[in-house]
Amino acid sequence: MRVILESKVRKKPTIPIEAESIIPRNFLKGTDLMVYEGNKERTLSELFWIFVEGTAVSPENIEVVLKGDASRIKRVGEYMDTGSILITGDIGMHCGNFMSGGTIEILGNADAWLGREMRGGMILCRGNAGHYCATGYRGEKKGMQGGKVEVLGNAGDFCAEYLAGGEVHVHGSTGDFPGVEMRGGRLTIGRDATRPCANMKDGTCVVLGNVHEMIPTFEKIDRRVLPEWKIIADVYKGDVANRGKGTLMVKIPGAA
Amino acid sequence: MLVNDVVCPFCGCLCDDLELEVEADRVVRVLNGCSLAEATFMNDTRLPAPIRRTSTAWEKISYDEAIKETADILKDADRPLLYGWSSTHGDTQSVGVHIAELIGAVIDNTSTVCHGPSILAIQEVGHPGCTLGQVKNRADVIIYWGCNPIEAHPRHMSRYTTFATGFFVPDAQRERTIIVVDTRRNDSGGIADEFVQIEPGGDYAVLSALRALVRGKESVIPKKVAGISKEQLIRIAGICKNAKFGAIFFGLGLTMSRGKYKNVRNAIELTDELNRHTKFVISPMRGHGNVYGSNEVFTWMTGYPFAVDFARGIAFYNPGETTAVDILRRGECDAALIVASDPGANFPRVAAAHLAKIPTVLIDPHVNATTSLSRIHIPCTAAGIDAAGTAYRMDGVPIRLKKVIERGYPDDAEILKKIYDCLNGWMIP
Repeated sequence: MRVILESKVRKKPTIPIEAESIIPRNFLKGTDLMVYEGNKERTLSELFWIFVEGTAVSPENIEVVLKGDASRIKRVGEYMDTGSILITGDIGMHCGNFMSGGTIEILGNADAWLGREMRGGMILCRGNAGHYCATGYRGEKKGMQGGKVEVLGNAGDFCAEYLAGGEVHVHGSTGDFPGVEMRGGRLTIGRDATRPCANMKDGTCVVLGNVHEMIPTFEKIDRRVLPEWKIIADVYKGDVANRGKGTLMVKIPGAA
Repeated sequence: MLVNDVVCPFCGCLCDDLELEVEADRVVRVLNGCSLAEATFMNDTRLPAPIRRTSTAWEKISYDEAIKETADILKDADRPLLYGWSSTHGDTQSVGVHIAELIGAVIDNTSTVCHGPSILAIQEVGHPGCTLGQVKNRADVIIYWGCNPIEAHPRHMSRYTTFATGFFVPDAQRERTIIVVDTRRNDSGGIADEFVQIEPGGDYAVLSALRALVRGKESVIPKKVAGISKEQLIRIAGICKNAKFGAIFFGLGLTMSRGKYKNVRNAIELTDELNRHTKFVISPMRGHGNVYGSNEVFTWMTGYPFAVDFARGIAFYNPGETTAVDILRRGECDAALIVASDPGANFPRVAAAHLAKIPTVLIDPHVNATTSLSRIHIPCTAAGIDAAGTAYRMDGVPIRLKKVIERGYPDDAEILKKIYDCLNGWMIP
């Protein structure tokens, strides 16, 4: 079954919409769902043109397609456990919060907190991701714990903060502090990173581009060939300031 | 008439030993206060009555009219923002939270552009702190990091640190070691025993290096970290480890420079590391007189210290998403109520520009930069001058502000209560 939601033109287009009800499982019983626009509760049909194609008996066969301007729609795919969501443009904050299964594909850019506290499943963002991509909530000791987030563009600051499990792959560059407070999992940055893995405890990070402003408390322990990426990389242990046992691998410039 | 033991409501120090000479509705002399206190009490020029913007000028309106129009603006809003709260007393802040809950607003205080990052760091790793009295009587090593107390908190050094005689530090000037860390040699740096000139944005790296040095991992540290030589870093780590009681005070140089709350977190974790060797504490140098109080009031009423979003009827908190600057920058809110602060002068241009676009109401005793962005400005009492109430000092100690004169203005808590009643449909003035 495919559910197509096309956003209607709104009088105040900058008021955020909170739509945690948009997950495939909820469409099994119909499209009579509630969302919030600012501080007002609305029905889904007040904000979207809804088209349903085919039928489904189980949630894993449901695909939700979001069309039109979704850049202000927050929390799409929150607590999603199965099925798939396709977003044809940009998506607002908190897309895929607490997701434990299924797939989300974003053809445009994602705003901040993409895949916050994710447990499983897969998010593919074909554009850029905002700040706090694949992280946790304020003050929480664990961020993303499982699943995979792949960003084909760049990611903002604090990408994969408190990463505790799963895999994050940013093909472009990241902003400040990627992998800060990391305690598990795997972070791969395709291009440049600034101050990566500060205060890390555990986990592995690979930077395939340049590192700007390396944190001074990382201990260089080895130089290694990484066959997976066909590169030679310097291997650091750290963060020494934090009694950390994490691994940071940085490609040696020029070496193939 | 001479009034004793007056509390100055201006900065987070809340000095409570001022003497004021009062004549009728005017303060004519300030004793014991710093130049900021003197200006607070003596240059207190108020807006005489509520004003409303017309297409070409301002017109005077009555308080009842202003209150009713404010309630109308807030009632119809889909995402109202209530901001400010830091230069007034606790009662006003509490009514503000009630209004936010009633109308589903976002309520935020000035921590959002000041020590909000310190709070985020404290939520991650805790706060090894103490009251200023402990620092005064015990501390023999003081670190001022990214702040300039001589100009911003002029009596901090004489009341609590460098020049204050303490029970266990009787000869304060000789017995206390002062370390000042800043990007340039400011006035406070001039009287430091050890001045550390750091490259802008290098705080995080230096704090990490100090943590490693305190752990004895000298070999890892490169020759220079953010413009500071390894020798100086080793010397500072030594001073800290050999202290009997150390206190770190940090300002916006740490919270609002690159890295923000991660800088503060690193400083807290350095304090934590030093506590394996000696006693060390860390405290933020809070700016507005009662900004700590706004955090307290918000926390005990909503569970969160700032940036609380009531849009869904329950409190949600996520700085970066529900903070005033971010909401304004994204053009989310469609009405704003500003109380006891001046975002027009302090917010980024794009955020202030959005305030001018939407209906904004300002409740503040003085004409300030936000007045020119507002639709309505309602004058009120100034807490600590012509209104009594509770404020919290920068170390979390509640202090009762005194009413020293009567100037005939209504209390801002009273104005907000009337707005609340209007919104609740109980009373139409």
